[in-house]
Amino acid sequence: MADAKSQLNLHLARLALRNLLGHPRRTLLTSGAIALGLAALIFLWGFNEGLHRNMLGNFQNSIIGALQIHRQGFFQHPDLSLTITNPQKISETLQKHGVTRYSQRLDTFGLAASDHTTQGVMLIGMDPLNEPKVTELGRRIGIGRFLQPDDSYTLILGATTANNLKVQLGDEVVMIGYDRYGAMIAESFTLVGIITSGEMGLDSGMAITSLATLQEMVDLQGQVTTFVINVDERTLPDLVSSLNVDLADQQLEVMPWHTMFPVMKEWVTLHNGFLYLFLGIVLFIVLAGELNTLLLSMLDRTREFGVLMAIGTSRRQIALLMVVEAVTIGIIGILLGTLLGYLIILLTGMIGIDLSILLGSTSRFYVDPLIYPQLKLDHLGITASAILMASILSGIYPAWRASLLQPVEAIRNG
Amino acid sequence: MPEDNRSPIIHIRDLHKCYWVGSMPYPALNGIDLELQNGEFVVLAGRSGSGKSTLLNIVGGLESADRGEARVLGEDILKMGNSQRSGFRLANIGFVFQAYNLIRVLSARENVAYVCQLQGKSKQESLEIANHWLHEVEIGHLGYRRPDQLSGGQQQRVAVARALATEPKIILADEPTANLDSTTGRHLIELMQRLNQSLGTTFLISSHDPDVKQAASRLIKLSDGFIVNSWDEETKPPVSLAVTCPIRNRSFGERLRHFFKPRRRTDQQTKQRTSRHS
Repeated sequence: MADAKSQLNLHLARLALRNLLGHPRRTLLTSGAIALGLAALIFLWGFNEGLHRNMLGNFQNSIIGALQIHRQGFFQHPDLSLTITNPQKISETLQKHGVTRYSQRLDTFGLAASDHTTQGVMLIGMDPLNEPKVTELGRRIGIGRFLQPDDSYTLILGATTANNLKVQLGDEVVMIGYDRYGAMIAESFTLVGIITSGEMGLDSGMAITSLATLQEMVDLQGQVTTFVINVDERTLPDLVSSLNVDLADQQLEVMPWHTMFPVMKEWVTLHNGFLYLFLGIVLFIVLAGELNTLLLSMLDRTREFGVLMAIGTSRRQIALLMVVEAVTIGIIGILLGTLLGYLIILLTGMIGIDLSILLGSTSRFYVDPLIYPQLKLDHLGITASAILMASILSGIYPAWRASLLQPVEAIRNG
Repeated sequence: MPEDNRSPIIHIRDLHKCYWVGSMPYPALNGIDLELQNGEFVVLAGRSGSGKSTLLNIVGGLESADRGEARVLGEDILKMGNSQRSGFRLANIGFVFQAYNLIRVLSARENVAYVCQLQGKSKQESLEIANHWLHEVEIGHLGYRRPDQLSGGQQQRVAVARALATEPKIILADEPTANLDSTTGRHLIELMQRLNQSLGTTFLISSHDPDVKQAASRLIKLSDGFIVNSWDEETKPPVSLAVTCPIRNRSFGERLRHFFKPRRRTDQQTKQRTSRHS
């Protein structure tokens, strides 16, 4: 019995397909409209994803990394009394979790002074060997060079700071600060590199020297304030959880990038929100377009439905016919749209989309002018499912109306 | 009530049906009494609007009546729900329409096989049955053609084959020759007569075609919703609107259906609208 019923449903589905094939222009136009909408959405998702990855990647790689570890409270109130007392334990824990790209830093505040003026800066001591594994700061030095292992009292400044201080490569810059005991100290540094990234955060308010030099200057040999770690975004949540467990007794704070700078995450969420709004608009257009086609098709075939009812087709089967047609149109549209969208992403993902004309000022927000769209499967899944749902919904009303037809009236007036 | 050989295959008593156009009643059947025995070849004759099609539709369970009794194969068809009627039609009644009404996206044999598949038969078996009936109606060689590749006569033969494919007890044909030329119409009637005699299927045909009337084993004449065989046209009783078309109260379902019903403008409405806008 169940077999006969499934055979009958299959038969009705075949009839629905024949109806669609019988009107190829109408079917293709509706499916094509869905496909274009979906392809546009896929491209926008891909572009958005490429933009976000580009921006977040640059943001993390420029200086902050994906994750940082400090003493409890250091991030809010950087103070040399809040150093990590046992960096060896953190290094071992990181190695235990297979993390190799990490570096140690010592951060403090200072005053940079030249012959002309002074400027307050964040003075960062970096490990010249390990820092390139974590950030791409070295690539952003437009003038001069990055730190080298045997450097002593060398300094890197951002372009804006160097400009304010009116110093050039090789000039002397005096750094004034406090040591671990709170006593004022001053040391002379030689400027070896100037950062010309275009990012406001990097080009001003920052001075970088080697970790060993700063440890010696503030009398904190062997101590650091920060571990900077670079890991893949997908493994980040698990690593944060594991580190929180493993380092629970060390009075440390394990902070992923979005906890330190929530505005970046909120910006991405807001941006995705706009795309969901756009998805809603496209869904409405798909719904209205397909509903219109199916209603026209229903009116066009009123007589046929009347005859089908007269010769024994039930109302449920008539409704099923309409819904199958709607779903089939949707599936054809989704397949075509996915293929088209994928090809567009593949092509633009290879050659990139150059936004240098538009990004004159935006380049200061960690965005490269060349964006490479990327397809994310969950976005594709959400969009395709939403369009399939819209197709089913658009089939329900015509199906309901068709099932309400009275055979005699349908044959007479159809 | 199960049928036996002596009980009529169709039994109608005091059947009334009224159509409403807005608030205007149009009586279509005014107390019809009729009995058909198994294997009869009955023709309903009468002018347009005499009630022939309405009677066929009620017997076929396509329409309901306002009052009266209509038993088909012993079952009270007026008391059946929509899905029951649908199943009953599929099992027991074959329809042949004036305008052929074949499914345009299916070939001739697929049109015939469709009803078999609705009955739950496999595709293969249904197509074999379709081939058989197409040969019976003498167009077996045209099975792969679509309706638009067939002549009117050929399409009507396909419709007859479709009506016969489920081996129904009764075939209802509404003006089957109206769209055919006289020669093709005669051939179709001869075919239906032959099938009636060889299969014993009961045929109830509405027609005003003289050839069809001539072929009838019994001719029933309808006029203004009355069977007038025993009366002269002039002496038939006056129609009582109060009896045939009582004031009706629409159920909520009917109101809902009426509200959502697809409407088409009449030619007159279109003209009025066009003249208003021009």
